[in-house]
Amino acid sequence: MPKCIIDGREAEFTPGQNLIEVAKNAGIDIPLFCYHPGLSVVAQCRMCAVEVEKMPKLQTACSTMATEGMVVKTKSPKTAENQKSVMEFLLANHPLDCPICDKSGECDLQDNSYKYGSAYSRYTEERRTYLDLDMGPVIKKNMNRCIHCTRCIRFGSEVAGIHEMVALKRGNNTEITTIDGKPLETDYAGNYADICPTGSLTIKDFRFKKRVWFLTKVPTVCEGCSKGCNMEVHQDNNQIYRCIPRENMEINRHWLCDEGRFNFHYVEREDRLLDPARSKSGGLEVCDWGTSIDLAKATLDGKQIAFLIGSDLTQEEGAAILQFRSQHYPGAPVYHFGTPGVVSSADDAPEDRILKRKSKTSNLHGLEKLGIPGFTKLPKEITALLVIRGGRATLPLEIDGVEKVGLGVFMKDQAMMFSVILPGLSFAEKDGTILNYEGREQKLKRALQPLGQSKPVSEILMMWVNRKKAHGAA
Amino acid sequence: MLLKKKKSFLQEFYLIEIIKGLMITMKNMLFSPKVTIQFPEERRNYSDRYRGMHYIKATNGVENCTACMLCPTVCPAECIHIEAGERPDKEKYPVKFEIDLLRCCFCGMCEEACPKDAIKLSNIYEMSTTHREVYDKQFLLEQRGNK
Repeated sequence: MPKCIIDGREAEFTPGQNLIEVAKNAGIDIPLFCYHPGLSVVAQCRMCAVEVEKMPKLQTACSTMATEGMVVKTKSPKTAENQKSVMEFLLANHPLDCPICDKSGECDLQDNSYKYGSAYSRYTEERRTYLDLDMGPVIKKNMNRCIHCTRCIRFGSEVAGIHEMVALKRGNNTEITTIDGKPLETDYAGNYADICPTGSLTIKDFRFKKRVWFLTKVPTVCEGCSKGCNMEVHQDNNQIYRCIPRENMEINRHWLCDEGRFNFHYVEREDRLLDPARSKSGGLEVCDWGTSIDLAKATLDGKQIAFLIGSDLTQEEGAAILQFRSQHYPGAPVYHFGTPGVVSSADDAPEDRILKRKSKTSNLHGLEKLGIPGFTKLPKEITALLVIRGGRATLPLEIDGVEKVGLGVFMKDQAMMFSVILPGLSFAEKDGTILNYEGREQKLKRALQPLGQSKPVSEILMMWVNRKKAHGAA
Repeated sequence: MLLKKKKSFLQEFYLIEIIKGLMITMKNMLFSPKVTIQFPEERRNYSDRYRGMHYIKATNGVENCTACMLCPTVCPAECIHIEAGERPDKEKYPVKFEIDLLRCCFCGMCEEACPKDAIKLSNIYEMSTTHREVYDKQFLLEQRGNK
C-alpha cells in the first residue's frame, strides 16, 4: 500500500482516497463543513485546507488525492491561521443563537469554532437576516444560521434524486431555498437535517423536545422495511426522542428514510395497550396476567387453531413460537403476515431507487428461512387464531368470524377484534436478530425498558406453558 | 513509669483558677457586643452575593429565559425541570420551569451557566416551609419581578 506522511505520522491509503479520509484513518481530524463522504466534493468552505509540502499554497484536503510520499501538515501555523480566518468569516453572519438552536451540542460549526476559532468577534456591522420559509412537515428552516456549504443541495440532487434545493443570489446574500419556495417533496427529508453542519435545517418533530447531550444513543436496526437500515435510537428517561441513521456502507450508507425515522412514534402512543385485557361488550376490561392467560387458553383450547405471526418479530421469537406450537398445539398451521400484497419474499422488491422496499416489516426473509409460509386465506376448518406481532405488521383483513387471541403490540382500536390481548414488546424494547432482504443477520438492541406491563413473547409463552401444566395436574 | 508531679497548695486549691475563669465569662457577658438578634424585628445584612431564593429575571415583562437547558445540565442536584415551547413573540421559551427546592443545594451554578442572565439567586433566605416546595415558573417570575 502506498504511504504518505500526515503530521509526521505515516498513513497508508488506497489510491484515489482524499486527504480527509486518509487522515481520518490515521486518527487525525481535519475540520470541515462542506465535505461529506456520501456526497460529491465541492471544496467551497475552505475549512479543510492543509499545507502540503512542495505546493505553493494551501490545498483543500477534500479535493486533494493522497499520493505516494506526500508530506501534509494539518497543524502548521499557516493552516491554523487559515482555519481561524475561515471561522471568523463564517461566524460573521451567524446569529450565535446556540441557546435556542436544536443543533447545539452536535453542531459542526460550534465544535470547530470552539477548537479552531477565536472566542471574540471583531464584526460590528449588521448581520444579514432572512424571512423563514415553510419547508413542509419534516424540516424547519432557519436561513440566518446557514453557512452555504450546499450539502443539502447536493444531497437532494445526488442521493434523494430530486433537485429541490437551490442557492439563490450571490456572495453575502446567498439564500438556500427550495425551487419557488415549495415544500420539500422527497421521502428522505430528515437527512437534510442530519447532514446540515449548522442548525439551519432542523427536524420539526424533534424541535425543542430535548437537548442532544441528554440523549442516550442505542445502535439498532430500523424495522420499517426489509432493507434493514442501521440506525441509532436516542432515548432519555425511557422515552424515545428521535432516530438517526447509523453509517453502514453496505446497506444504507449514511441515510434513512422518513418512514423509518418517524416509525418509533407508535411505541409511546397513548392508545397502545400496555395491560393484559379482554374485550367485553362495548369496551376492554383490564385484567391481570394470570386471568388473561387462562382466558386466552380457554378461547383456544379444544378448537382448530392456527398461528398468525407478524413478520416484524425477531428470529428468536419466531423459533420460540414454532417450538411452542410443536409441543402444545401440534399440527396447528403457522402463517406470517406483514404487508398487504406481500405474501412471500418473492413479492419483496425495491420500492424506490434509494432504500425503501415493498415489505414494510423487517424480518419477512428471516421467518421464511424458519419455514413459515405467508398468509393468504384462512383454511375453513380453523375456528380460533393466535395472532402474534410486533407493532409494525399490518393485520390481515381476512380473519373475521373466528375467535382471536392477540399477543404483541396493539392499539386500542385494533384490540377490539380480539377476545384477549396479551401486551408484547415493540422493536425498541427487545433484543433479537432480524434478517434483511439479502439474508444479512443484524441485531436489534434494546433501547427502552418494557413499558407498562408488557412482556417479551418468550416470557408470555413460558407463563402459558406453566399454567397449562398446573391445570393439567389439577 | 508515670511520675506524679507534686503540686503546690495554691495549685491544688483551684479557687483562684475558678475566679480567673469567671472573670473572663463576666467580661464577655457584660462588656462585649451581643451576637444574637431579635430575628423577626431585627434583620442581619447579607452580602449582595448571597445565594438564596431563586427568581427568573424579566425584561419588559418578558422572561429572559430561552429554555436552553444549560442550568439543568450543570445542576449537580438535578433540581431544575424545564419544558421548552414556541410562541409568536419568542422563538423558544420555557413552558414549564420548576425548581425542586428540597433538592437544591444553592451552589449557584445555574446562575453562572445561564447565557441570558435569566435565572438568579436573590438574597432572600426565609424559605422554610412545612411541605415539599416546588417553585413553578409563575412564582419564579413574580418573585423579584423586574428588579
